[in-house]
Amino acid sequence: MEQKNTTFKRYFKLYRLLIGQFLKAIMQSKVDFFMGLFGFFFSQVMGIAFLYLVFQQIPTLDGWTFDQLIFIYGFAQIPRGIDHLLTDNIWMIAWRIVIKGEFDRYMLRPMNLFFQVIAEKLQPDALGELLVGSILIILSISKGIVIIDIWHVVLFLISIIAGALIYTSIKLFFASFAFWIKISGPFLQVAYDMAEFAKYPTEIYTKIIRFLITWVIPFAFVAYLPASYFLKADVSATVIGIECIIAILFWCISYAFFNKGTSIYESSGN
Amino acid sequence: MIQVSHISKEFISPKKYPGLRGAIKGLFSNEKVKKMAVDDISFHINKGEIVGYIGSNGAGKSTTIKMMTGILTPTNGECIVNGVNPSKYRKENAQNIGVVFGQRTQLWWDLPLSESFSILKEIYNVSDEDYKNRMNFLNEVLDLEEFFHRPVRTLSLGQRMRGDLGAALLHNPKVLYLDEPTIGLDLVVKDKIRKAIKTINDNYETTIILTTHDIDDIEELCSRIIVIDEGKKIYDGSLKELKEKYGSKRKIRMEVKHSKELASFSTAEKLNCSSNDCLTEYDADNHLLTISFDKHKIETPQVISSVMEFTDVFDVQIQETELSEIVKQIYNHEVSEELV
Repeated sequence: MEQKNTTFKRYFKLYRLLIGQFLKAIMQSKVDFFMGLFGFFFSQVMGIAFLYLVFQQIPTLDGWTFDQLIFIYGFAQIPRGIDHLLTDNIWMIAWRIVIKGEFDRYMLRPMNLFFQVIAEKLQPDALGELLVGSILIILSISKGIVIIDIWHVVLFLISIIAGALIYTSIKLFFASFAFWIKISGPFLQVAYDMAEFAKYPTEIYTKIIRFLITWVIPFAFVAYLPASYFLKADVSATVIGIECIIAILFWCISYAFFNKGTSIYESSGN
Repeated sequence: MIQVSHISKEFISPKKYPGLRGAIKGLFSNEKVKKMAVDDISFHINKGEIVGYIGSNGAGKSTTIKMMTGILTPTNGECIVNGVNPSKYRKENAQNIGVVFGQRTQLWWDLPLSESFSILKEIYNVSDEDYKNRMNFLNEVLDLEEFFHRPVRTLSLGQRMRGDLGAALLHNPKVLYLDEPTIGLDLVVKDKIRKAIKTINDNYETTIILTTHDIDDIEELCSRIIVIDEGKKIYDGSLKELKEKYGSKRKIRMEVKHSKELASFSTAEKLNCSSNDCLTEYDADNHLLTISFDKHKIETPQVISSVMEFTDVFDVQIQETELSEIVKQIYNHEVSEELV
């Protein structure tokens, strides 16, 4: 236990140090920083405007009101934003780090490999998602459509963490293909884009897509399904339980796959 | 310190065909090409040795180093570095070794060198006291102070290399791998780097494995060399031995008084030996006569006097075979059969 504790402390300290250095480096180009933030914020606003336009035509969607959909939309942004903020460097594994042999550098240092990947970068663009998500959730709460009691608040926090972990696991899984095929960016992009479906109630899709985003690439469990628990009293808390199980399961699979990938890593010639 | 036993590394890649048609064909074919980058290599390196690991481009040098550092997992065989198997216990191994790749920096590009060092201090868990002592030593041998606070991307190649070397040594590794540490550097900086390597080896008994194409690196640093070619080890022994065995050629260069007959002049004929043992070349434009001969078979004065009998000699230069020539021969597969 003592050993575990010191390891955790050491990694925590290293994380602060590495991210601190990263922030120092990006602050040097403030323009990039704010443009990225603004860009993401803008695309979020467009997403909501789109929802609004759709609802001018149809007042309810499969039994969901506009206000409820706004909550689902906002709720979906939070785990996505957390994952985007913390683990964005996984994309670089898929596109560049493996094929260019830059993974060598991680292999040479006495630290956990996954830790090194994510400790290299924070993605400030994600603040746009977190901001919009928070605003929409607060708005929904003020309208009184969200169930609030101690259970729901605790499960809300757990659900967000589990949702972010599902995002990270899916990214890590598809990025790890790069160890075999060198560039896995296109696959990762397709898988990640599936998350777009999860912003809306899954009932509106055909059976195949519904099955796909619920059980194969389980983005439905990061947004729509848990969000419904917070909106409807008749939805059981089991849905959050399943979300957590999926998160842990997917994480274990992805992490094992990533480890397998690093063991067959081929570097690149000089 | 390092025990490498029968390691091999095989790379499998899809077969490629030339041209656009080939590219399309490649999409539908399932053929694979196997390449043995390293083929059954074994050696043992003792503590404190400096070993030169040489071979032509693509011979498998970097692949071997990458297996010893834990970047690559061997297809067959295993290596043990300081009691640890690098591919199984990567983190433990990483704590014991330092690595410098001449082609690629391990430093943080946008950060001042000083910050890179303070990050590395934490990564390798170096205590404050050790850090202080270590920095004093590194400053002394590498003169890091003059550019210590500048971002790495603004450093010259020579400064960056000194920075990289310092960074690899901060945690006092028992084994240091240097992959072409002097590549692209000017002579003064090369010299500085070599001196630093030597000092580190003397003071800390650091075991050093060095790959290089620079013959001077080997001559000045390495007591032992391992030569590999096409993934196989073809020589392992002392530098002196290699030179004695294959450096038997001596070259004499003479500036002579020009005469037409010199073009057909042959020292071999004069001394009654085969032209294999004694080769004469005449450069009519510069009036230079070059004679290469086996020094174990022919005496130098014999050669000079045979020429002096024929024409006037103004200047004489005697050259021993340089290591670079032996290496060149090895690269061209000229001596590889004899060595095996």
